[in-house]
Amino acid sequence: MASSSSPSGSGSDLSERRGIPAAKFIQDVETYLSQSGFDSNSALAFHQERLQQYKVVEMKLLAQQRDLQAKIPDIEKCLEVVGTLETRKGTGESLLADFEVSEGIYSRACIEDTDSVCLWLGANVMLEYSCEEATALLKNNLENAKASLEVLVADLQFLRDQVTVTQVTIARIYNYDVHQRRVKQVTPSAIATADA
Amino acid sequence: MQQQGKSSGSEMEVTWEDQQNINTFSRFNNRLHELVDEIKFAKEKCDNLEDAGNELILADEEMVRFQIGEVFAHVPKDEVETRIEEMKEATIKSLEKLEQEKESLVLQMAELKKVLYAKFKDSINLEED
Repeated sequence: MASSSSPSGSGSDLSERRGIPAAKFIQDVETYLSQSGFDSNSALAFHQERLQQYKVVEMKLLAQQRDLQAKIPDIEKCLEVVGTLETRKGTGESLLADFEVSEGIYSRACIEDTDSVCLWLGANVMLEYSCEEATALLKNNLENAKASLEVLVADLQFLRDQVTVTQVTIARIYNYDVHQRRVKQVTPSAIATADA
Repeated sequence: MQQQGKSSGSEMEVTWEDQQNINTFSRFNNRLHELVDEIKFAKEKCDNLEDAGNELILADEEMVRFQIGEVFAHVPKDEVETRIEEMKEATIKSLEKLEQEKESLVLQMAELKKVLYAKFKDSINLEED
């Protein structure tokens, strides 16, 4: 998570990132409008829509981020348990533990000196591993989760840059429009006074 | 935290460089919010560990139940004491790191603010609501 402190605009020159289109920076509003054939209103509508789309994607990414952020401590917990069992290994001591049978109901378990644990792999499959193998597998999972979180954070950052660009663009088009209207309003009245 | 490159009245030029500055500022601002949450969380954890440590000193049981994963393992008191101490140290360390990151972010944001306000005056608002 420390990567975000780098001030360089990472990937700002990309035209898209993982299916997210980049927002184009507009050098000059007037040329943009005349080139694209948009009037101010339709340009505004177009960018507002874009903004909404970005927001939808942001929600999705944020949900994914939350999932991953919850998953990482889970894996760390598992590693801790396997680690505890491993340190007991060979000492002959058994580990006494209170565990939850059902919500609010606890029972006591005595875990004998053991060399293996069963890992729930998902899809209704549980496999027995030796402690070393389990640790290796869990560590691997942890690394994967951290790596995908990093990618996700970078995606989010890219997305937020596009959101900012779009927001600024909207503000600029809006201001340009207001400015144009004011000019238009001033000119006829100026002519009118000149006539009178 | 809205950045609006408002070019009021006369058309104000917004260059790609300005846009990038605004992007960076926005990014820093987002990260700052995350950091504030993370720092709060780390502080809470630290307090909880502190409480647990104090509680442990008062306890006169030889074995205490120490939560590992989902289960409460029966662990000798001194072992729990060292483990809690270790956890506390790790938390304090990460807390320090977070505080440092926050400080540097605040500094960098102040720099960007200077640059952006110098260019856009009051046409831009970089303050929190």
